[in-house]
Amino acid sequence: MNRFSDFWKNTWKHRAFVVMALPAFLILLLFAYFPMGGLVLAFKKFDPLMGIFKSPWVGIENFKFLFASAGTFKRMTLNTLMYYGIFTALGTVLNVVLAIAIDQFVFKRVGKVMQTIMIIPVFVSYAAVQFILTAYIGSSTGMIAGRLMHDAIPFYRSPQYWPLILTIVKMWNSVGYGSVLYMSVLAGIDMSLYEAADIDGANKWQQIRYITIPSLVPMITVMLLLSVGNVMRADTGIFYQVTRNTGILYDTTQVIDSYILNALKTSPNFGFTAAATFFQSVVGLIMMLFANFMVKKISPENALF
Amino acid sequence: MAKQKKLKSARRPGPGQYVLGFLLFLYTAFCAAPIILTIIAAFTSDKELKSTGYTYFPHEWSMEGMNAVLKYGQQLRMSYMVTIGVTVGGTFIGLFVMSMYAYAISRRDFRLRQFLVIYLLIPMLFQGGQLSAYMIFTRSYNMKDNIMLLILPICVTTMNVIILRTYIANSIPEELMEAAKIDGAGEYRTFFQITLPLMKPTLAAVGFMMATGYWNDWQNAFLYIDSPNKKPLQLLLINIQKSIDTLLNNKNIPAAALQEMANGVPQQSATMATVLVVVGPVVIAYPFFQKYFIKGMTVGSVKG
Repeated sequence: MNRFSDFWKNTWKHRAFVVMALPAFLILLLFAYFPMGGLVLAFKKFDPLMGIFKSPWVGIENFKFLFASAGTFKRMTLNTLMYYGIFTALGTVLNVVLAIAIDQFVFKRVGKVMQTIMIIPVFVSYAAVQFILTAYIGSSTGMIAGRLMHDAIPFYRSPQYWPLILTIVKMWNSVGYGSVLYMSVLAGIDMSLYEAADIDGANKWQQIRYITIPSLVPMITVMLLLSVGNVMRADTGIFYQVTRNTGILYDTTQVIDSYILNALKTSPNFGFTAAATFFQSVVGLIMMLFANFMVKKISPENALF
Repeated sequence: MAKQKKLKSARRPGPGQYVLGFLLFLYTAFCAAPIILTIIAAFTSDKELKSTGYTYFPHEWSMEGMNAVLKYGQQLRMSYMVTIGVTVGGTFIGLFVMSMYAYAISRRDFRLRQFLVIYLLIPMLFQGGQLSAYMIFTRSYNMKDNIMLLILPICVTTMNVIILRTYIANSIPEELMEAAKIDGAGEYRTFFQITLPLMKPTLAAVGFMMATGYWNDWQNAFLYIDSPNKKPLQLLLINIQKSIDTLLNNKNIPAAALQEMANGVPQQSATMATVLVVVGPVVIAYPFFQKYFIKGMTVGSVKG
């Protein structure tokens, strides 16, 4: 009883903080918490006339449907995982390589200008990227597809090339930006370590191998583990916009998020889509908890909670 | 930093440095090439784009693409206003409410803060997903075609609040706030007159990242916005084929003249010109904010 009245007294004393926290609290409530309620649709047969909460319950009917439609569901889940794997693995390697390269470059001013240019692509929206990509690989007028290859490969009708194309686009977009984080770690390395290595006769490669890379490992581990939490989510910009939502390419380009977006824009197969959304949210939660658990073990100060 | 310079300049750059420089230059060129192509294509004659395709070295330059965009640009002006309004409004609302929340959860003697921290973290762990959000926003809130849907759903994010909170905890001396309190400032006054002004560097960093997010956000507009007078630039870009029609859809022009104009619209170069007009402002603004923005990322990576 006493603890409660203490708590209320404390809260009343600091009512100004309550007022300050209130606007963000309400925005989160309306735009993050209440939408979670929409997940009940996964267990309902949606009837537009009755609305979300009055539609009849159907138990796990939608999930049976989801897992039975092996083709679509399996394809988009595998694609989601595949792109997560490629983007994360290659992205991390390139981020680190680029960070080390810029850090080692002695012409600092030139390096700075180059870095500025390398970061620019992250500010080009994918809605714009799709047009730029077409200028390269569009049929007949595209610079690479049309002028150089004389339409030998119809890119927009050949799904097998898209994992490569999307990977190039993604790396173009994100590597310069991603390396900034690692550069900030490199800037923090104690210079006397390098000096000592220098005196001991270690060459540049040895210094990178034994000083630079080990000092990046904690940050790499944390970033990798945190990204595990988003394994089921993909940037719809790249999979929906850059591919121009082309049906022929779905085999290698459709991920869960772009499937859902497409369903929302066309004719939503509510049961299926709702079940997929629910699946995505729950797997996301599990992976996030797992990731945080791992970070806590390895480097507690970087854990989220 | 100074020490680093001294150490490295003590040695003369070897040939390895030039190889490294060359490789970095190649990557820089790879990053810049698509943007350069966009600029060139926007000023290439449409006839050349249609017949021989995109090139870095066009034979025939032309302003027709740009002119088409600017001349029939009523929709473009409208969309610019929408995007600027959403970007500025969203960034300011977001920074304002998030920094207040961040301040509240950084006060150690505030007991409710533990609850508020958990309340903040949950949305990062668990989301309703696109379908749920769509259904709730359009059916329960009846907000279809409401411009607030471009602003509110992305104006408070867990990560940004954490960045602001970390900055308050690590970079603003607690003594300052104590002193203000002793001098008789209330809690609001302490925040608005002492803390908030000191948060400028992190506000600039987070604000720039938010502004970029708003400027480039297409998905919310794509899902929720129908009316032409609420269409942001990115949506205009997505519906470009339709947009060129919309640009031409000026009711003051007789139908026959319109038809003639439609045939004369330089589609390819106009498309690239639109891309340029949409992407340009962010790309031009970014170098001015780079300093803050790099600092912001660094600060955010250190949890307090």
